[in-house]
Amino acid sequence: MSRKRTRRVGTLALMAACSAAILVAAPGALARVDSVQTVSATPTFVIWTDRDREADIKSLAEAWARPRGLTVQVIAKAEQNNIRSDFVTVQAANAPDVITGAHDWVGELASNGSILPISPRQTVLKQIPKYTRDAFSYGKTVSQLYGMPTHLENVGLFVNTQLAKVPKNWADLEKQALAFKRKGGGRVGIDVQQGTGGDAYHMYPFFSGLCGYVFGKTKGGALNPKDVGLDNKVFMRNAPMIDRWNKLGLVNSKIDNNTASQLFTSKKAAFWVTGPWNIDAVRKAGIRFRIVQLPRIKCASVPFLGVGGMMVSRFARTHGLESAAKDFVASYMASAAAQNTLTVKNGRYPANTLAAKNVKDVALRQIGQAGAGGVPMPNIKEMASVWNDLGLAWVKSTRGTGATKAQPSFRAAARAIRQKIAQG
Amino acid sequence: MSTSATPTPAAPPDPVRWSLPARLVTAVSGTPALVLKIALLALVNAAAIWAGAHLANAEKWPALVVLVVSTVAIDVVYLAPRRAVPLKYLLPGMVFLLAFQVIPILYTAQIAFTNYSTGHILVKDEAIATIRETSLAAPPNGSTYTLAPAFDSDRELVLLLVDDATGETYVGTRDGLKPLPREGTTVEDGLVTAAAGYRIVTGPALFALDRQLSNYRVPVQGGAVRPEGIDGAVELRPTLRYDPQSDTFTRIGNGRVFRDNGEGSYAAASGDTLEPGWKTGVGWHNFSRVLNDRLIRGPFLRVFAWTVVFAALTVSLSFALGLLLAITLDKKFRFQRFYRTVFVIPYAIPSFLTLLVWAGLLNDDFGVVNNILGTSIPWLFDPWWAKVSIIIVSLWLTFPYFFLVSLGALQSIPSELVEAARVDGAGPWQVFRRITLPLLLVAVAPLLIASFAFNFNNFNNIFLLTGGNPPTEDQSIAGATDILISYTYKLAFAAGKGTDYALASTISIFIFLIVALISTLAFWRSKSLEALS
Repeated sequence: MSRKRTRRVGTLALMAACSAAILVAAPGALARVDSVQTVSATPTFVIWTDRDREADIKSLAEAWARPRGLTVQVIAKAEQNNIRSDFVTVQAANAPDVITGAHDWVGELASNGSILPISPRQTVLKQIPKYTRDAFSYGKTVSQLYGMPTHLENVGLFVNTQLAKVPKNWADLEKQALAFKRKGGGRVGIDVQQGTGGDAYHMYPFFSGLCGYVFGKTKGGALNPKDVGLDNKVFMRNAPMIDRWNKLGLVNSKIDNNTASQLFTSKKAAFWVTGPWNIDAVRKAGIRFRIVQLPRIKCASVPFLGVGGMMVSRFARTHGLESAAKDFVASYMASAAAQNTLTVKNGRYPANTLAAKNVKDVALRQIGQAGAGGVPMPNIKEMASVWNDLGLAWVKSTRGTGATKAQPSFRAAARAIRQKIAQG
Repeated sequence: MSTSATPTPAAPPDPVRWSLPARLVTAVSGTPALVLKIALLALVNAAAIWAGAHLANAEKWPALVVLVVSTVAIDVVYLAPRRAVPLKYLLPGMVFLLAFQVIPILYTAQIAFTNYSTGHILVKDEAIATIRETSLAAPPNGSTYTLAPAFDSDRELVLLLVDDATGETYVGTRDGLKPLPREGTTVEDGLVTAAAGYRIVTGPALFALDRQLSNYRVPVQGGAVRPEGIDGAVELRPTLRYDPQSDTFTRIGNGRVFRDNGEGSYAAASGDTLEPGWKTGVGWHNFSRVLNDRLIRGPFLRVFAWTVVFAALTVSLSFALGLLLAITLDKKFRFQRFYRTVFVIPYAIPSFLTLLVWAGLLNDDFGVVNNILGTSIPWLFDPWWAKVSIIIVSLWLTFPYFFLVSLGALQSIPSELVEAARVDGAGPWQVFRRITLPLLLVAVAPLLIASFAFNFNNFNNIFLLTGGNPPTEDQSIAGATDILISYTYKLAFAAGKGTDYALASTISIFIFLIVALISTLAFWRSKSLEALS
């Protein structure tokens, strides 16, 4: 063999050795391939959640897993919505067995076939209010429960009790808010966020207060996407009130997310329609406040309800963790103790009625009461067509000078939504 | 190949001043270079083996072939002495081009011919299994049970059940439900904890049974009892019957038949479909939707026109302003460097931050801009003013780029030409118009085209500043400031019934064709400029 040849062989051998060394040194690089190949007795149980709930879910899941001989991995996504979007496209090897999420994802995820229905025990169901379970129910053929409700979210009217009194009724609220606005200096009437894109969620108490609804129900009690109630007769009759509010500046679509919180914390607003996620910020600003439901306008001004919960991924079955996932979601996470742990630090109202009795935080209790009679956000996928148009109808009609009258703008929105649902 | 160590620092200074890159290259040639090369190649090979094992495991054979071929190619190119030198430089670029440009484009094109959207994610077999499972319903008076999995004397898995309503105890096997004698059976808190002749499974062993447990069915009259989790079981009855021969679902009760409709769903004659559907090829369906669907086509022309105006104005105004500033600052004067730095600042700040700040500044009632000017211009809420705002903010974000480019290009214009023109009696405007600008355009025209193509798809500027809003009176999905790409986003994610990846891919292809056409035409035109130099 020539010298050159020898050296080339040497180079190749050296490289092969290095490759092998790297593969061995890289922590478990090949071992992981192994675990995919042969189904080991206890694969890792994977939970996807958001950053806010990461620590609590982790401690709960570990406490659950230890006596059961399982190992858990909790993966926190940057935004809650990433859980949903990543879940649609994920590959089985990286897929979660359980996800946390909001009830209004259920229509999309269930019609994708991405989540498995659960059947919790009767003893468990007794502690979880029916309306929260309904929020997680979906099915064109048979209504199935697709998640375990763990916590509730809704907006309420935050009243700065140093600047105003808790309103006795709608007329009182209107009078106080307008009097406060007339003091000038950039003060506003009722502080509620919209912005150019609109915000149908935060405006919903006003919408329901004027007797509007999004979807009607079929005889069987399921949401009916063919019955769009944005321009129902009663609402249309009440809609001119919106034009009056716009003229007086009671609500103003130019207030966006950031402005809304600035106005309330800098005492430029005495009334703020917002949710539990802002309780801490208001406390930090040293404001004394009370939270109530927006007073009845023509109908009860109920907010949209968001029900948070946990769902079993279809991949749990692929991974051989279906019974574990169902045990965790349908049984363990339903308990009062687990729900208290999950909700206390995050400042949310637990779904479990026993856990709700343990809520000590005054503001949180008030938010819970402000949600009484609330309407769970429709969980059918047709809702995707509604958010934008309903929000924009409010924007158009409450943008001050140059605003469109409410009747035509809500009628146009209803028409557009029907068209999209028919063609979508 | 030299085997000596790096040149000693004591060597006399080289008469030729080598550039920094050249000096760096010589510093790491020889043995250290060989070691480095082998280490890097070993890393690549190790990664390839690791990926290959995964691919083989997942039975992705085409991808495995590509991986093996490209890894061998990389090894050959970098180990072959003195051969394939140009390839050594081209290969990394080609790999990245393939990975990050070609494959995504092919993938997008492939999706455009499918129905990939909400409700059409699974493959057909998975969809059938899911429909069968979700069509199981608990009958009105169906029983629920507390469950304890156990092994019988033959080591067969059985379910020890306690009826939640009656407290009766049962043994569920694959043959059916039979009573469990109370004698020798202990029930605590409604759960069987001991039974004669059975070994109850507890603790970690339970989860090893997962696959057996979740497939376990105890046939009962009209349906089956199925374990739910590890401590419960429910009685379920099917509401749909699947017939593999005819590939149809039949609803039990009214006999309605659902057939494969060729679009990835089982549909009844009435048009009702079963959920979920599955992902399947739909040919040119999405393309015909874009061209024929009123909802999509309606605002298309309006949005397209604004997209062109937006991109053209952003580029031309930014170039004009950038050039003006470059010419002004080309002369020597005090604080010249300071001004040059100041004008680059908007370019140096992350654009999404700038955009969000501007969105706040321009707020109609609460923004700083209207406050300072003492005006009440509806910057973001009026369709026309919103367009003006978009252009202003885009100008702010883009002019520093053209300022820098023009500054450089101006230096390269020979001063003799300008002087000659002056001698011939040309005024400053004529010099600029006839000498400076044409020569500048030779260098800058391709950048103008690239910037146009970039702004044509400048999703961030639109989405973060106005979100495509304010709404227009025609109540379409597209707002007044939506450009094609943000309109695509809304079509795909905020309209209809959930997300529609296939439609979004189709429109992306249309956008790609439009941008490619405009760019080609523009490059072709700009070639005539090169005749100048």
